[in-house]
Amino acid sequence: MPTTPDDATPLTAGSPLAMSLEEAEGDTSKAELDKATPGERARWSHRRWFVALRSFAAFIGVWYLMFLWNGNPIQLPSPFRVANAIWQLAISGELLEHASISTTRLVIALVVATLVAVPLGFVMGLSRSADRFLDPVVELLRPISGIAWIPLGLFIFGVGDVLPVFIMVYVAFFPLLLNTISGVRNVDQRLVNAARTMGVHGWPLMRQVIVPAALPTIMVGFRLAFAGAWAAVIAAELIGAPSGLGFAIEWYRQLLMTPKVFAFIVVIGVVGYLCDLALRALQRRLTPWAEGMGLS
Amino acid sequence: MTTTTAAAASDSSRWSAVFHATLVPVLLVLAWQAWSMTLPANSPAPSPSRVVAAFVDLVATGGLVQATLLSLGRVLVGFLFAMVVGVGLGALMGSNVRIKDNLDPIIESFRPIAPMALLPMAILWFGTGTAPSLFIVAYAAFFPLLLNTIHAVSRVDRKLVLAGMTMGIPRPRILTKIILPAALPGVLLGARLAMGVAWTAIIAAELAVGAKSGAGGTSGGIGQMMFVFYAYSIDLNGIVVCMIVVGVVALLIDRIFRFAEHRLMPWRHR
Repeated sequence: MPTTPDDATPLTAGSPLAMSLEEAEGDTSKAELDKATPGERARWSHRRWFVALRSFAAFIGVWYLMFLWNGNPIQLPSPFRVANAIWQLAISGELLEHASISTTRLVIALVVATLVAVPLGFVMGLSRSADRFLDPVVELLRPISGIAWIPLGLFIFGVGDVLPVFIMVYVAFFPLLLNTISGVRNVDQRLVNAARTMGVHGWPLMRQVIVPAALPTIMVGFRLAFAGAWAAVIAAELIGAPSGLGFAIEWYRQLLMTPKVFAFIVVIGVVGYLCDLALRALQRRLTPWAEGMGLS
Repeated sequence: MTTTTAAAASDSSRWSAVFHATLVPVLLVLAWQAWSMTLPANSPAPSPSRVVAAFVDLVATGGLVQATLLSLGRVLVGFLFAMVVGVGLGALMGSNVRIKDNLDPIIESFRPIAPMALLPMAILWFGTGTAPSLFIVAYAAFFPLLLNTIHAVSRVDRKLVLAGMTMGIPRPRILTKIILPAALPGVLLGARLAMGVAWTAIIAAELAVGAKSGAGGTSGGIGQMMFVFYAYSIDLNGIVVCMIVVGVVALLIDRIFRFAEHRLMPWRHR
C-alpha cells in the first residue's frame, strides 16, 4: 500500500524547494530525450539554453525599466549596480564568508537531525509499540513550526551560532523522521518474506533488505529536510545571529545599501539551488534503484 | 451476546488507544512541571501551570484572540493574492507549453529564494505595517500553488478535452466543465501546502518586522506578540502559549483543507 508523499509529510512539504518532489520535473521531456539521437539531444539542450537566456534578458530588461520608472535607487537599484555589488562582495571575500557560515550551520544541523531522526524512524517503523507511544508526541510537536521556536530559542541560547542550528535541526527532524518511518513500514513484504525463506534474519536482513528498500524514501525526506532548513536558517539568522546570509541582508538593509541586499538575496537563491542540485546527484548515486520506485 | 463482547472489545481497544496516545505526553508535561518546581520562584522558566494561567489571562484580555485573528486575516488575504496569480498563471503555463518554456527559467530561479530573504526588501518597499507581511505570505504561498496547478493542468487527460471538442462544446465550457474538475485535486493539494507555508511565513514575517522595527506595535499579530513577550515583557509562559496557538492553528488549517478535499472530490476517496 504505497502512501503518497504528501501524506507522509503534510505540514512540512510545503516549502518552495520541496515542491520539486511533487512536480514530476522533466517527466515528458526526459522521456522524449531518451528516444532522441545524440544530435537531437544536443540541439534540444541548446534550445533550452537559448530560451533560458532570452527569458533572463527579458527579465533584466523589465527590471531596468522598472528601475528607470521608480527612480529611487534605494528601493530598486539597477541590475548593473547589483551585478557590481556581487562582484565587489566576491572580491572582498565577504560573500564567501557569510555563505560558508550559513552552509556550515546547515551541514551541522542536517548531520545532527539525521543522526537523531533516522535511527528513531527505524525504531518507530519496525516496532509497533514504540510507534504507538512516540507518535502522539511527534504529532503534537509537528504543527508548531520551527519559526515559532525562535523567541524561546533566543531566550535559551541567546544570539549566536546555536540558535540557527537548533531551529534547523528542529525543522529538518520531522520530514526525515516521517519519511524514514514510512520507508521502513512500506518495505515490500514479499522481499522480507523471500529473504526470511532463504534463512536471512536479524542484522543481515536489516542491512541487505530493509535499509536498501527504505533508503529512497529517506533520501526524499532528506531533500525535504534540506529545503525546510534552508528557508528556516534565513529567518533564524535574520532575527537571532550575528553572522550568516540572513544576517547580511538585514545588516545592509539597515545601512540602506540596497545593491548589497540584492546581492545576498541572489546568493541565497544560488546556494539553495546548488545544494538541491548536489542532493539530487547524491540521490542518484546513492539510490540508483529509486527511479524504478517512482521516488527519484 | 456476541455484540456485547464485540462492543466491550472495541471499548477496551479504544481505551488502550487513548492510553497509548496520552501516556508519553502526560509524562513529559508532568516531568516539565516537576522540573520547574525545583527552580527558584522568580525564575522566568515556563511551567505547565503558569502556561495555563498565562493562557487564561491572555484570552480574558482578548489580546490573544485578536492577535491570532489579525494573523489569520493576513494569511487569508496574502493567500488569496497568491491563489489568483498562482492558479491563473499555472493554468496558462500548464495548458501552453510555449508560455511554460519561456517562464520556467524565471520561476525556477526565484524558487530557491527563501521567503524570509525578501523581508528586508519588503520593509524597504512597504514600510513596517501589514503590507510587508502580506507580501511575504503571498510570495511563500505562490510557489506551491503555481507548481501544483501547472502539474495538474498539464496532466489533464487530452482525450477528455478532445472528446469535448468533438462534441462541439465551446472553449469556456471546456475549461469550466472538463479541465478545472480534472485539475482540482492538484490545485487543492497546492492550496493546502500553500496555506501551511503561508502560516509559517506570517509568523516569521511578524516576528522579524517586530524585531527590526522596534516595539512600535504597528505590525501586531501573533508573531509580533511573541516578540514583545521575548524582548520587552520577558514572559516565557506567554511565548509558550503563542507557540501552542500557532501549532493548533496550523493543525486546524491542515484539517480544514483535508476535509475540503474529501467533500469536493468524493470520487478520490472510496
